[in-house]
Amino acid sequence: MNRIWSYVLRIVTLAFIATAVLLPIGTAARAEEILASAAASLTDALNDIGRSYRQKSKNTVRFNFGPSSGLARQIEEGAPADLFFSADLAQMDALEKKSFVEPGTRRNLLSNQLVIIVPADSKLSISSPKDLLKPDVKKIALAEPSSVPVGVYTSKYMADEGLWEQLKTKVVPVQDVRATLAAVESADVEAGFVYKTDAAVSKKVKIVYAVPIDKGPKIIYPVAVVKESKHKAAARDFMSYLQSAAAKNAFKKYGFVVLE
Amino acid sequence: MDVRFDARVTAIFGPSGSGKTTLLDAIAGLREIASGEIEIGGKTLFSSVRKINLAPQRRNLGYVPQEGALFPHLSVRRNILFGSRRVSRGAAAQSMSMEHVLEILEIGHLLDRSVTELSGGESQRVALARAILSRPQLLLFDEPLAALDIGLKEKILPYLARVRDEFAIPMIYVTHNVTEVLTLADWVLVIRSGRLMAQGLPSETLTSSRAIRAMPEEELENVFTVEFIEADKASGRSRARLSSGDEIFVPYVPTPAQRNIQVRVRADDILIATQRPEGISAANILPGTVRNVEMIEDQSLVRVHAGEIFCVRVTAGAITRLALHEGSAVFLIIKTRSFQLL
Amino acid sequence: MILSFDTWQITLFSLAVGLASTVLILPFGITLAWLFARKEWPLKSVVETIVLLPLVMPPVSTGLILLKIFGRRSPLGQWLYNRGFEIVFNWKGVLIAMAVMSFPLLVRSVRTSFGEVNPRLEQIAATLGASPLKIFFVVTVPLAYKGIVAGALLAFSRALGEFGATILLAGNIPGRTQTLSLAIYNFVQVGKDPEAYVLLGITVVLAFVFVWTSEWLLRTEKKV
Repeated sequence: MNRIWSYVLRIVTLAFIATAVLLPIGTAARAEEILASAAASLTDALNDIGRSYRQKSKNTVRFNFGPSSGLARQIEEGAPADLFFSADLAQMDALEKKSFVEPGTRRNLLSNQLVIIVPADSKLSISSPKDLLKPDVKKIALAEPSSVPVGVYTSKYMADEGLWEQLKTKVVPVQDVRATLAAVESADVEAGFVYKTDAAVSKKVKIVYAVPIDKGPKIIYPVAVVKESKHKAAARDFMSYLQSAAAKNAFKKYGFVVLE
Repeated sequence: MDVRFDARVTAIFGPSGSGKTTLLDAIAGLREIASGEIEIGGKTLFSSVRKINLAPQRRNLGYVPQEGALFPHLSVRRNILFGSRRVSRGAAAQSMSMEHVLEILEIGHLLDRSVTELSGGESQRVALARAILSRPQLLLFDEPLAALDIGLKEKILPYLARVRDEFAIPMIYVTHNVTEVLTLADWVLVIRSGRLMAQGLPSETLTSSRAIRAMPEEELENVFTVEFIEADKASGRSRARLSSGDEIFVPYVPTPAQRNIQVRVRADDILIATQRPEGISAANILPGTVRNVEMIEDQSLVRVHAGEIFCVRVTAGAITRLALHEGSAVFLIIKTRSFQLL
Repeated sequence: MILSFDTWQITLFSLAVGLASTVLILPFGITLAWLFARKEWPLKSVVETIVLLPLVMPPVSTGLILLKIFGRRSPLGQWLYNRGFEIVFNWKGVLIAMAVMSFPLLVRSVRTSFGEVNPRLEQIAATLGASPLKIFFVVTVPLAYKGIVAGALLAFSRALGEFGATILLAGNIPGRTQTLSLAIYNFVQVGKDPEAYVLLGITVVLAFVFVWTSEWLLRTEKKV
């Protein structure tokens, strides 16, 4: 019995070592490789852009997707990111104030539209935010209004419209946009707030109201070069690619609003 | 406790919880002691004053614990050879070859068995072999037979005696069993609650008042050497002669190789009569004189000279009823089967 | 889809780093478990609590602490960086996050197993002349090996499932630090549920096998 174990162990170990050796761990790049920390919601768009960039430039770009707050913390602690593409202004402002942003490189690149969604088969008639005050809207899902970008923007917007005080008792704070979608999909809540780009993802929800861009909160996705980057030239190059027509089309394809 | 002794086998005798195991562990270095001194063969193992504390590995002692503590994941052979790299000086080394030890303990056939397959008696003998083959300067026994039932105890005891006789390793033997002390020990320390109550030759000390006071509940036994006369299979008994010439009947046993054998009889198994009884089943009726009567707590100890000095335990009431006192003429009545052969 | 190169790469990467992390913590975990089981020493309860912390704290908190310790801003981070050791945004970060989060599970399991080894056996071995090292390797470890293996398997499973500390310390970089857990998170975030389920399925199967084996080992362990 012990003999069999030792054989199994040996084979398994060899297999793992072999694969570990063959894995693309830290491949050395002849050209430069830059690392861009970006909000998770930008994954699809940036993956497309990254691929087309690889064909145009000798440099490659890798992405680190995560929640904007976490990404900002990493940069503060010295993580080697070259670019920061945040989902809201607050994180970028904070970094800039602490001098982590390379001066003169910040651009407000994208925007998004805030929408109200309901379950696809909902019978409620909601055609404006005020309708959310109706008694048959018992619960509203919203990503954590104090920290997640979409939650922050929504609560500010509702406050500006004078509705926040009454609505906040109905609000169920959830972890992030995905959780909001899930809550509405399962009809555990009657309505929720997400971005237009997020709503497109799910077939089980429908948009009942889109906050007009000029009326709504200034949802902005800023991007900037990180001050401590060791590849500033390459980073700037990619940033300008982000503002190219090809990139803008990619963003629009996924529903983002491109700021000119 | 302050004690010094020098004997082939020293027994430490006391009831459970009297601190015997603690003492043994301290000697072996397995337990911390606050203050004191332990010296063996002139070599200091521990001294709180001089800040000496040898690790158990360096004390060169063999330990046979109560349940054998054999290593369950090793075979019998590997258990026995576990400590055998240590080589001692002296003639003892010669006689202690592995084959010899296996022969004496009759465990040669068990070598390749797994430890978990052994019976209680077998595992105790293996533990013994293991301790001996580490060539210690001293063997420590912690009630090694306590976990065995009576029949097994009787079977293993001779092995211990053999070990004592064959190998020249001194032994410290902890037990609360009188038979083991009387069979094996040359010297005994009687302990109670961590204090030394008495010490001396086993036969005297164990029946001494001090010892009895230490262990009032324990069995008292009389042990003598007798000369074997003849065996009588038909009637189920053999005859033997006391040192005084009186004859006694003991349970049947075929004629042994040596004429002198040891017998023992419990103090509780002897009856005292002031008149010679008639029509009684017991075969041994020994006339004798009371040497002294001693009251200890609620019992009475009567020492009677009837060919040997017998220690008899009766109730205080019996003393009064029979008006026993020093010099009384009495008869001791002992069943054949009450004599047990060692 | 299931057999796409990306899926393979993510799975093998997770398994390889998970294995490396478990191998890394084994000697430390076993030693510490032995110290906990057999010895008393000053500040022992403090160390016991610290070891247990990653198990009870939210992984994000542990991740933040690790980031503070290993980030380039910290003295340790600077020191490592100057010697060419990048931890953040690197597989080494994944390794450390996995190691730290799975360490308490290893220690607990091994400690329990050591505790079940009869100390009398070790004492007797000492009287027979075995050095403490010999006692450890020839008596204690063989008698506790099932618990050690079970603990290693449990730690490995935990490493595979590690997310919160990993995403903060190593980042979620596809192709470089993305593990099964991080990839699942990513797919879920962008609504790509089918892809997420595939990876989830792989994770569940792996975890099931390892945890089940671990429990089986513990059940069949003989108490001496």
